[in-house]
Amino acid sequence: MLRYLTKRLMLLVGIVFVISVGSFYLIHLLPGNPATVILGFGATPEAKAILYKQLGLSKPIYLQYFVWLGNIMRGNLGISFISQTTVASVIRSALPIDAEIIVISQIMAFAAAIPTAMRSARKPDGILDRVLGATSFTLLSIPPYILIVVLVLFISLKLGVSATGPSAYVPFATDWITNLESLSLPAFTLATVSYVIYYRVLRSDLIATLQEEFITMARSKGISQRRIMWRHAFRPSSVALLGAASVNIGSLLAAGFVVQYLLQIPGLGYTLILAINESDFLVVQGIVLTVSVLVVAINFFFDFVINIVDPRISRE
Amino acid sequence: MSDDKLLVVKDLTTTFATAGGDLAAVAGVSFDLERNETLGIVGESGSGKTVLSRTIMGLQPRVNTTVTGSSIIDGFEVVGASENEKRTIWGTEVAMVFQDPMTSLNPVMRIGKQIDEALRVRLGMNRKDAKARAIELLELVGIPSPVQRYNAYPGQLSGGMRQRVVIAIALACSPKLLMADEPTTGLDVTIQAQILNLLDELKERLEMSVILVTHDLGVVATRTSRIVVMYAGRIVETGTTRDVFYHHRMPYTRALLESSPKVSNKSHTRLITIPGRPPNLLNLSDGCSFAPRCKYATDQCHLVRPELQPSVEPGHSFACWNPLPVNAEATLP
Ligand SMILES: Nc1ncnc2c1ncn2[C@@H]1O[C@H](COP(=O)(O)OP(=O)(O)O)[C@@H](O)[C@H]1O
Ligand SMILES: [Mg+2]
Repeated sequence: MLRYLTKRLMLLVGIVFVISVGSFYLIHLLPGNPATVILGFGATPEAKAILYKQLGLSKPIYLQYFVWLGNIMRGNLGISFISQTTVASVIRSALPIDAEIIVISQIMAFAAAIPTAMRSARKPDGILDRVLGATSFTLLSIPPYILIVVLVLFISLKLGVSATGPSAYVPFATDWITNLESLSLPAFTLATVSYVIYYRVLRSDLIATLQEEFITMARSKGISQRRIMWRHAFRPSSVALLGAASVNIGSLLAAGFVVQYLLQIPGLGYTLILAINESDFLVVQGIVLTVSVLVVAINFFFDFVINIVDPRISRE
Repeated sequence: MSDDKLLVVKDLTTTFATAGGDLAAVAGVSFDLERNETLGIVGESGSGKTVLSRTIMGLQPRVNTTVTGSSIIDGFEVVGASENEKRTIWGTEVAMVFQDPMTSLNPVMRIGKQIDEALRVRLGMNRKDAKARAIELLELVGIPSPVQRYNAYPGQLSGGMRQRVVIAIALACSPKLLMADEPTTGLDVTIQAQILNLLDELKERLEMSVILVTHDLGVVATRTSRIVVMYAGRIVETGTTRDVFYHHRMPYTRALLESSPKVSNKSHTRLITIPGRPPNLLNLSDGCSFAPRCKYATDQCHLVRPELQPSVEPGHSFACWNPLPVNAEATLP
């Protein structure tokens, strides 16, 4: 297991390296002088000259990369020329919102998917299975970002919720009730998108697992159906589910951006869209980098969990 | 006293609803089993041994399966009982050793936990006692360093060791009847003998009855008192082990004996299979199912199914229109 995880970790370090090179190189892809890109068109020549020295822009590009990487490693992502605060602090205030939305949505999605998939798998072609099968199939055939837009519009119109604007957002620690109120709709939409995937993946794996000989063996011990489902069928059926979650959460970060924009919630996505509009390059770069590293970390985390759930994987 | 039989099977029939129509994998099987007896069920692959042994204890698939007839284990009628009712006898009255230890253990559950489970759920033991008992059971079935193995996953054990674990699980709640469905088919020859000897020894020690299912007559030769020979879901010959080996009347039994590597003529170094193909259960004729493969078959055989009829020895019967002569033993070693 340790060897397997070390191997995975090395792969991930490689991926992070590629991402960092990409993010770094972003600036050279944009038209214009990097200093102008970073500081905006209104920057004074003096400011540009200082930045030029700071970033070592007169040095060869690979040295520039190391200077840049050194700064990133120290948590120095630069300063937003719009807000004049550090990019790190911009991210620090936005990221918890994304994290919270995703965590809540995943709790909802798993809490709904696991018991319903269990029930469907126990009685395939039963009423519940048919209803959920048809519903999830329909929802799954709609691209998630469209589904999200539809859900947000539909629910906010039905409930009379309207976007109150980013300034109305209250952190969890300040007032958790208001906080949860404002995040429950975005979390719910992401939960719906996740639910249909998790339900279908888990259901089909459970049905396959229930055909296995060790399930008949468990039955022959005289233990309850419930116990067979939870103790014997669930765990070996959850590997694909965890894999799906790993991929899905990555894409939810992006899907969350749409929701945040629609509902004017100041998470990473909202901030990113604003920054793009305002050509606030360092903020864009910082968010792209953060999200990429996050996706990689989530993948690694799920690899680890999958290994614990199914010890066969690292042995093969 | 017929009341005291551990198992009475009467006219047991198992039908699967398949895409191609109804398939009777077991058709009208009747036999019984004394306490502390070992009975062999033999037949070539696909003859319905697994379905029969599962149906006897009510462990047939839960969907698209119809069971009729009767199977009474120590007074409990299995046929028609609900899953919850059957649970009360599973493990404690009757337990099963499955064919393939590679697939019959939960791959993501430590083996100790798989033994514990039965003890805790069925016998109400606490965690500590169950663990101690599980380790005892591992020792009983001959697993070295049971304390360490308790925490192993099935994938960390060899096939023979896994089958010992399966046996330990089956024995956990001291069943009166142990069904062993080809318990050694997936194992190396040397391990096969070890597992079979272990089953024999445990049977004596724990005073169980055993039903030993196999396609290989060599396996049952010295271990059973009686044998049931199956073909296409039916019993085609039954009697004492001696009668089946030396006085068999059914050509299929003869063919089975000849295809068994251990008891066959020494000149046959290779495993001979019975010529022809097993019948298609979805499309059986009204005659004897073995007739298309039988060199003694007559028109009658193709048209009318022979019922079981008594042979000369008590308890020995066979289903054949043109049986082998009574002293067929001359041709076998
Ligand atoms: N669940 C099932 N559905 C349909 N047919 C089955 C099922 N289980 C077994 N059979 C059929 O029943 C017959 C007997 O199978 P089985 O009892 O496994 O034979 P054996 O154990 O003697 O090799 C085979 O033809 C098999 O295809
Ligand atoms: Mg079988």
